[in-house]
Amino acid sequence: MASLLQFEKVLMKCSCDIKSPIINLYFCKHCLKLRCGRCVSHEVDSYSCPNCLENMPSAEAKLKKNRCANCLDCPSCNHSLTTRATSVALTDSQSPDKKMTKKVYYLACGLCRWTSRDIGLGDKETASGGWEEHDNPHFERLNELLEFYHQLAIKEKNEREQKKFNKRRTYLRLQEKYFSPGGLATRRKASFLNALSSMAPKTDEPEITPVKLIEPKEEVDPLPSKYYTQPLVLEKVTTLAQRLNRPEFASSQVEGLYPRHKHLVIKRSQRCRECEHNLSKPEYNPSSIKFKIQLVALHHIPDVRIYLVPKLYQAKESIVTILLSNPSQEKMETELEAINEPPSTGLLTVPEGLLVLAAKDITAEFDEKTADTSEFKDNPEKKSSETSQGHIQFRSGHKLGVLFKVTPQTSDSDVVVCFKLKYKYHNTSPSLRTPVEDEEKPDAVWLEHEVEINLGATSP
Amino acid sequence: MELNDTFYMKAEFIETASGNKVSKKSVLCGSQNIVLNGKSIICNDCIVRGDLANVRIGRYCVIGSRTVIRPPFKKFSKGVAFFPLHIGDHVFIDEDCIINAAQIGSYVHIGKNCVIGRRCVLKECCQIADNVYLPPETVVPPFTVITGNPGKPTGELPECTQDLMIDATKGFYQHFVPVQEVK
Repeated sequence: MASLLQFEKVLMKCSCDIKSPIINLYFCKHCLKLRCGRCVSHEVDSYSCPNCLENMPSAEAKLKKNRCANCLDCPSCNHSLTTRATSVALTDSQSPDKKMTKKVYYLACGLCRWTSRDIGLGDKETASGGWEEHDNPHFERLNELLEFYHQLAIKEKNEREQKKFNKRRTYLRLQEKYFSPGGLATRRKASFLNALSSMAPKTDEPEITPVKLIEPKEEVDPLPSKYYTQPLVLEKVTTLAQRLNRPEFASSQVEGLYPRHKHLVIKRSQRCRECEHNLSKPEYNPSSIKFKIQLVALHHIPDVRIYLVPKLYQAKESIVTILLSNPSQEKMETELEAINEPPSTGLLTVPEGLLVLAAKDITAEFDEKTADTSEFKDNPEKKSSETSQGHIQFRSGHKLGVLFKVTPQTSDSDVVVCFKLKYKYHNTSPSLRTPVEDEEKPDAVWLEHEVEINLGATSP
Repeated sequence: MELNDTFYMKAEFIETASGNKVSKKSVLCGSQNIVLNGKSIICNDCIVRGDLANVRIGRYCVIGSRTVIRPPFKKFSKGVAFFPLHIGDHVFIDEDCIINAAQIGSYVHIGKNCVIGRRCVLKECCQIADNVYLPPETVVPPFTVITGNPGKPTGELPECTQDLMIDATKGFYQHFVPVQEVK
């Protein structure tokens, strides 16, 4: 829905100095800082199949090479295959006149109409299949190589450790050379150290079983004569994508395409890198959209949206309405400060003084009458110097329409304005405040974030 | 960006007691089988085929102009059977779509000009981009963005998708305002 509400027009600066729309930001309640997807650590929470939406423990997922045991993908177009039931006529060997029908199942693709019968896979008697797996023809060679690399890795690791030890020794030598008086003592010490190094624990050189090397050949087998004699049927030749889908077979003929098990998907949780608290943790159930922990910025910091932009002309002041909304159930005091430096391409004047956002009333939608906002005396007629009255377009519930004066200073690119959004953040969760902390840490703190708004192009 | 007002002719829409707004220019076949749970909008030239099977649409749904909603069928040895079609709450279906899904969860956004194939299951909080053809019997897991033809998952949605969809569909309903016809 980000596309409908155009969230990409208002960007906020994360604590890592990268600007993102508010919907992609997290708010760490513990550090009181904004975090984005680039500055949090992502952890795999659970594995599930995107087709049957069944959970799989991580050990099992690893064993099955991150593929679902039941769901299969079409080898031709990669869409999920479905099991289709049909009945076949059987002739009884004892009584040929009697006709029997049997229910059988085969796989079919709803997109490209591929079926398991196309490649000669036999029909199954159970719906769940039990489709034969095709083992990798190079399985043994791959295992052999893997084993070889594993041994090499151990050897390299040993060598590295040895080197580390040697380095330390040379450092000691240098130290002695330059810092200790008397050459003789140095030499004696050095010989002592040499003796020590020879006593260093000898690491057992692991036996490396050599693998069979495949010799490169100058001569290649001649092209089979069938390429000259048989006509080429293009429909029977696989595409490059189909071959690369299963590199171990890389079948050049469509008959060699076998269905492949579906890749699993994961659910991730995000963690703040500074305080290591969880910022978002989804529920394990793959089809659930609920979260155990969800510290998204939208729930904690005031949301800034473009409400109304008139036609903008270069070097002419226009009034833009910006909507601030308070996500918390407490009153929120905000203050704005314009930043008239690049990347901003327009001169911005923001309302001065405190702007108070009303608390969000979650029962308001069930109430017919609108919330009473008369307590905030922001009647535009009564202008006074201390408050920001006159800059307020309207107030409805927890939302406040504020008027910004913008003078575009560009005619060829989009008008971008920047400002600092300062607000008093109330820490509403009591569990986060231990009694000791209470005294040091007030439950409301002023926080500020940089906001960048793209108001669109100017009119000629 | 806050949504702009969408105006409609008061005479062209029927507003029910529960707040549904249904265009008189839409076609609701078998209306006894169609349930709108309230505050949903069905725009002009939509077709909802309640005559084939039950169609249940949740609260705060928007069905764009010229969209066809048709319960899916499945072939059996003894003919075909139609399955009921359920659409959750806060679902936004844009213009010119053909919906043959078996189930559409809540907080789903379907873009313009999409074809959702037979018996697809769209889980909650997923998004189908514009001009997508979703092949029959596809399952779209939560927080997935589907693009292209045929539709493939290409992205993911933020954690706050639920709030955004509630905001957008409620906003659309509030900004869907009647104007009196000028005589």
